[in-house]
Amino acid sequence: MTQRIETLTTPTAGRVVRSKWARRWLTFLMVLGPGLIVMVADNDAGAVSTYTQAGATYGVKLLWLLIFLLPVTYFVQEMVARLGIATGQGHAAMIYKRFGKWWGAFSLFDLELLNFLTMVTEFAAINLAASMLGISPYLAVPLTAVGLIVMVATASYRRWERVSIILCVLDLAWLAYALFLGPSVSTVARACVLPGMPPHGITSDYIFLVIAIVGTTIAPWQLFFQQSCIADKRLRFSDLKWERIDTFIGACIVILMAACMMLVGDAARRYGLQHAGFTYTDPAQMARFLGQAFGPLVRNGVLLLMINAAVLGTTTISLSSAWAYGEVKGWPSSLDMKVNDAPGFYAVYALGVLLAAGLVLIPGAPLQLIILGVQVLAGIMLPSAIIFLQLLLNDKELLGAQFVNKPWNNVVNWIIIGVLFALSLVLAAQVVAPNIFPKG
Amino acid sequence: MTNNRRTFVVVHPLDDVVEAKVDVEALGPMPLTPSVKFSLLVLRGYLIIMGLLVLYHVLDLSGLFTHMR
Repeated sequence: MTQRIETLTTPTAGRVVRSKWARRWLTFLMVLGPGLIVMVADNDAGAVSTYTQAGATYGVKLLWLLIFLLPVTYFVQEMVARLGIATGQGHAAMIYKRFGKWWGAFSLFDLELLNFLTMVTEFAAINLAASMLGISPYLAVPLTAVGLIVMVATASYRRWERVSIILCVLDLAWLAYALFLGPSVSTVARACVLPGMPPHGITSDYIFLVIAIVGTTIAPWQLFFQQSCIADKRLRFSDLKWERIDTFIGACIVILMAACMMLVGDAARRYGLQHAGFTYTDPAQMARFLGQAFGPLVRNGVLLLMINAAVLGTTTISLSSAWAYGEVKGWPSSLDMKVNDAPGFYAVYALGVLLAAGLVLIPGAPLQLIILGVQVLAGIMLPSAIIFLQLLLNDKELLGAQFVNKPWNNVVNWIIIGVLFALSLVLAAQVVAPNIFPKG
Repeated sequence: MTNNRRTFVVVHPLDDVVEAKVDVEALGPMPLTPSVKFSLLVLRGYLIIMGLLVLYHVLDLSGLFTHMR
């Protein structure tokens, strides 16, 4: 397969169209994928938990934060797209080659560990949702793991991408639930532009949730995933404008769905206030509570959306691990290669999925410790990953004048880096001095 | 993509001719300009501080400091 790619001198297939408009539209559809998938997959099981908790605790008062995060998430991933198209290589390979072995090994180790722990939380969500749907976790978890392996083992990038896009489309069902359960449009619109104060003022729980939302919306694995995905899809220089649109559409969808999850959480809070006490513990418990109020369609739908988010999250996170490891090791790493041609790449993917699924099925596994580990590692890794991205995007030798950051890109990015460092330090301050903010 | 009078051929990136990208191996490591050095130094400092905080938190959770107080 590698040989075929290297010796390709003429296009092997093409679609004939009769108008410029059709040409543009078809080209966009052919490029569409990496940006959309990386963004929608970011609303994984952990994100469902964070956003519904934000809605269940603070109602619509944190919606403004999502509007602020829309340009942030787009700017970060647009830089990744530019880097991927300009170099044709993954992010891990780029750090290794440009910053040396120490930083390369540090980034890779951190990414692999964080990704694995995140995958454990994805399977924990599948376990929880399946149990509540009346399906044995000992059946649901292994079946999902096998399905996730089959999804990539067919040796077709296009097939994997199509399945992932279908999962992205299914995620849009959050919109229907938000419209059905949410407050009036005017309430939502007001909350989007006017930051609301929580009833007990700014507490440590509020600060922690703000940090969790930021950390959930921009995750380190996303940088590695999108760049490797673009490299694997072999996007061309001329595809950059379409990839930007792909990324922007993905950014809008991820923020819209995050807002919908908050509104669903808010529905549970409002119903709890009117009819019965409700204290949020996890999305599955929230789904059961909503089911009591609005029927099994709501309960089962939210549980299935949780599983969908976890499945999409797992395939992308495990792929980012496999691509990164393969790039650094110099192994052939492509979804278009057969298992026999890229055994290391597929082994890393499958091993991550199987170990994470297996760990969740162990009775008494320290899941709370793992969730804490994910938060700590993500907090440590995100600012460092963004610093490398910023340095690489200013590397004129690597990118040339066409792809290198413009001055305004740098201003925006340094502001983002400053905010991320500040949030990390607030989180650190809370660890050292837990009483720095009043308890909520 | 080619323009053939009134028709256009749209080629999927995976079916297209592979583009020549920058040769990263030939470039070698990034030149350590003062701004790159400063950024990496700040990053090292941040990682050391965060590492120490995590260690402190783990020791605190294990009850070591409660024992000492």
